[in-house]
Amino acid sequence: MTTLVPVTYRGGVYRHDEVMDLIDDLGGYVVQKHVMAQEVVLQSFVPRDDIDLIREIAKPLAGEVVEAPLVGTEIAVVSPSLEIHHLPHTACDIAEYLRRAGAKTNMVGLARGFGKRIANLNDEERDVINEHDLAVYILGNFEECIREKFPALRRGIQVPIVVTGAPDRETLVSIIDPPVEGYVGGIGRIMHRFKRPEELAKLDELVEEVSRTLDTRRDDLARDPLSIFPPRLMTILEEEIYEVTMLTHPTPVTVQMEGLRVKLPYDLYADDLRSLEVADGVMLEDVADVLPSRMRDYILIRIKPFSETKILV
Amino acid sequence: MPQLKQIVVESPDDVGREAYERIAADVLQDLDLTKVIEHLHIYIDPEVPIFVAAGRLRHMPRAIRVSDFANVNIGEETIVLDIGDETYLAPLLQKLWVRYGKENVDQPDRFTIVLPAGVAGEEDLEHMAVADPSETLHKDVIYALQYIAPEGFKVRRQYIKDEKFYYVASEDTLPHDIVETAVKPLFEKMGVTL
Repeated sequence: MTTLVPVTYRGGVYRHDEVMDLIDDLGGYVVQKHVMAQEVVLQSFVPRDDIDLIREIAKPLAGEVVEAPLVGTEIAVVSPSLEIHHLPHTACDIAEYLRRAGAKTNMVGLARGFGKRIANLNDEERDVINEHDLAVYILGNFEECIREKFPALRRGIQVPIVVTGAPDRETLVSIIDPPVEGYVGGIGRIMHRFKRPEELAKLDELVEEVSRTLDTRRDDLARDPLSIFPPRLMTILEEEIYEVTMLTHPTPVTVQMEGLRVKLPYDLYADDLRSLEVADGVMLEDVADVLPSRMRDYILIRIKPFSETKILV
Repeated sequence: MPQLKQIVVESPDDVGREAYERIAADVLQDLDLTKVIEHLHIYIDPEVPIFVAAGRLRHMPRAIRVSDFANVNIGEETIVLDIGDETYLAPLLQKLWVRYGKENVDQPDRFTIVLPAGVAGEEDLEHMAVADPSETLHKDVIYALQYIAPEGFKVRRQYIKDEKFYYVASEDTLPHDIVETAVKPLFEKMGVTL
């Protein structure tokens, strides 16, 4: 079986459809396509052996292919609030940087996430964060505050967490109990853009920490694979459900590591999705749970592992 | 050009202190207050928790008068105001409308205002105060401190008068003697008595 690796293709609009066709022909998937003026960015999965071929074909088009470790993941960037204290710097800069590494990021601004004693997480925020592959918590400058508020902010969160804060990594490790999956020290509340080399290095460290955390989950998935590869299910949905192509969202179907978020109303489309035939005689409901998402009225599809369904599409 | 002399941040947490030094400098620069604030002394202790900022402003800019941005030419029948800088045109028009009546204030173009002569005292027209920049300046200074202080510190007490200002904030109720116990010592360090 060929291994699909996440890559980002960056090039001009001119003849980019040829690259998309090529990826499709090679058995890869384009998860996200961004067209910005004259430029196109394709977040995709391609067979490892064929990366050089894509590079070669993209060369006359001045396109470049780089490995992007976070393609196909949806990450929640959790900020204590969406007030001027935390935005636009830190929260937006981090979200944007993770996007460059291929992730689909959603900013979660907590209603009452600020303060030390008064910090809180409500059930809606908890459920929304739990719908992601990973949550990056952007915390502040004081050790004491992080120690006291973090247990309240993580209550009920089941997805892996990466914490950032101004204290150094060792301090973060020592004050957070039980431990979380990743720590990046030296990023606190700041009021300017991340632009100095040492600040950008911190962002690279964050991307590394996030991808390391997700890799452990990927290893688990390799041992017990999903019944259907999420990007593959995305392609099927786009082909079979006509309304998906009518959506104006940047990502009408968002690919996650273990599922998909479909931006169609749950009440109207859930049954259609459940009865969708994904392979000969296999309905979608056989390989996945179709659930209402806490994010607007979207649909969340959680794909079941092979060990549960004994089906591999 | 006068510049901010110093920002001092004190805190038991060293990492936090450094971070807040940078935050304070960034915020003052963003809001263009470095020329206005002479000293800023901040004490922040997350364990209490308390945030205290005290400081001194430079001399406040005086009130803006008509003669600062316009020439007043008094003729036999009309007074012609030749506007040099439009910044304060809107408040000037408001004042003129009250004084002369809207129908009597003629504005043939952006930089000219024509008024009838002999209606209301034209002698002091040149010295009429149009705007007071210190009014908005006070708001800006308090806004800057709100912006610097940790967001969760919602309970606050603030003061700004003449050239002195302070801002105390916490998540808990502030003790009634907080000004005496926390603010006064900060002013003393700057050599100022509150």
